[in-house]
Amino acid sequence: MNSLLFQAGSVVALLVLGFLFGRLAEKRHYRKIIQRESETQALPVVASRYPPEDRPYRQQLVTGSVVIASDYFKAFLAGLINIFGGRVTPYESMLDRARREAVLRMKAEALALGAAYVFNIKFDTTRIATGKVGAMEVLAYGTAMIPLGQAVGIQHEI
Amino acid sequence: MRYENRLPPEGINTSQVHPLRQFLQLAIGAVLLVVMLVIVLQYAGAFVARRIPFSYELRVMDTLDIELGEAEQHPEMTAYLNALAGRVSQHLPLPDGLSVTVHYDSEDVFNAFATVGGNLLFYRGLLSRMPDENTLAMVMAHEISHVLHRDPVAALGGGVASTIALLGLTGNAGTGIAGQLVNQAGMLTGVQFTRSMEIAADDAALSALNALYGHVNGASTLFELFSASRERSSSLAKTQWLERFLSTHPLDEDRIQRISQQVLDQQWRADGELTPLPAGFQRWLAVD
Repeated sequence: MNSLLFQAGSVVALLVLGFLFGRLAEKRHYRKIIQRESETQALPVVASRYPPEDRPYRQQLVTGSVVIASDYFKAFLAGLINIFGGRVTPYESMLDRARREAVLRMKAEALALGAAYVFNIKFDTTRIATGKVGAMEVLAYGTAMIPLGQAVGIQHEI
Repeated sequence: MRYENRLPPEGINTSQVHPLRQFLQLAIGAVLLVVMLVIVLQYAGAFVARRIPFSYELRVMDTLDIELGEAEQHPEMTAYLNALAGRVSQHLPLPDGLSVTVHYDSEDVFNAFATVGGNLLFYRGLLSRMPDENTLAMVMAHEISHVLHRDPVAALGGGVASTIALLGLTGNAGTGIAGQLVNQAGMLTGVQFTRSMEIAADDAALSALNALYGHVNGASTLFELFSASRERSSSLAKTQWLERFLSTHPLDEDRIQRISQQVLDQQWRADGELTPLPAGFQRWLAVD
C-alpha cells in the first residue's frame, strides 16, 4: 500500500519536474534559436540541387547535428495521445527545435568556411534512445558553396 | 540569381495547444475509458467463465499437471484438512460434481487460497497461528465458498478478458509510461470485483460455521490475527478509505464488523464452546 503511494508519488513528481524543466528549457531554446536565425540570415540555405553558375565555387559538405531528449511529461502525454490518436503535439515542438538547431549548426560550419550559400540541404532523423523517455538525433547536411578567390577560414561570430 | 532566406513565422510546425490542458483531458479520458472497459469485460469474462462446467475445469487442471502442496511429506495434515473440508462442505450447498481438494504447503506464508479445479492450498504459516478448529473451519468454509461461487475461474475469465483488452489498448502495455497509468487504472477497477467476491464468501462461510458448530465463535479471530500481523497503527486511520479502495480484500475491520452485524441480524450465538485442534496438529506442523 505504501509502496503503491510511493510509486504514484514518484510518477507525479517526475511529471511535474518534466513539465517545469522541459518547458523552461524549450522556451529558452526557442529564444536562442530565433536570435541566431536572424543573425545568420545572410547565409541562404537552399533545397535546390542546382547551384548557381554565376562564378566559380569550391564545394564542401557541411553538417550540423543535434541530439535532443524528450522529458517525462512529453513522453507521458505522447503515450496518452497514442491511445486516442491525433497530432503528437509534445513532439512537434521538440522536433521543430531539433531541425532548426541542426540547420543553425550547419550554417555555423558553412560560415566558418566562408560559404556564400548552402545548397541541396537534407535532413535525417534517427531515434537513438529506446528507454521510457526517448531521444532523437536530427542531422542537417548540405553543400557549402564557397566562392573561389575568397579567403577560406574566416571565423564568423554567431 | 539571388537567393535569400526569410525568417519563417513562428508556430508553423507546432500546434498551439496548452500541454497541461491536453494532458488533463487525455488522462481523464483514458482513465474513464479503461474503467468502463474493465467493468464491462470483468462482468462479461466472469459471466462466461462461470458457465464453464466444473468437470472441464478439473480436466484442464489434470492436463496442466501442476504440483500443489506436499501430500507425500505431510500425509496426516493433508488428510485432516480434507476431512475438515468434507465436514464443512456438508453445510454448504455444493452441487453434485463440485468438489474440493485441500493441499498443504509447509512454507511460512500467512495465507490460504482457492484456485481453479476446486483446489485449496493452506500454508503452514496460517495453520500454525490457528488457535482452535473453529477459526480454521471459518477459513476452510470461506475458501470452499469461493469454489462454490466459481470465483477462481470467474476471476481468471474476467482478468484474462480485461488484460487482453488493455494490452490491445496500450499496444505494449507496461513498457510505456502512459501504459502504466492505463494498467493501474485497469487493475484498480479489477480489485473492486474481487472484494465483492470476498464479502460473498465471508457470508456463506459464516452461515456454514453456524450450521457446523451451532454458533459462530471464532469466526472473526482470523481477521483479528490478520489485523495484528499487519500492525496497523492508528495514525493510518486517515488513509483507510484509500486502503479500502486499493486492496483486493475488504479491510479486516470491515470484515469483523460485517460478521458482528450478521450475528446480530441472524440471532446467531457468538459465545459457544470452541473446539480444540486435533491432538496431533502441532506434531504434524513440526514435520519438515
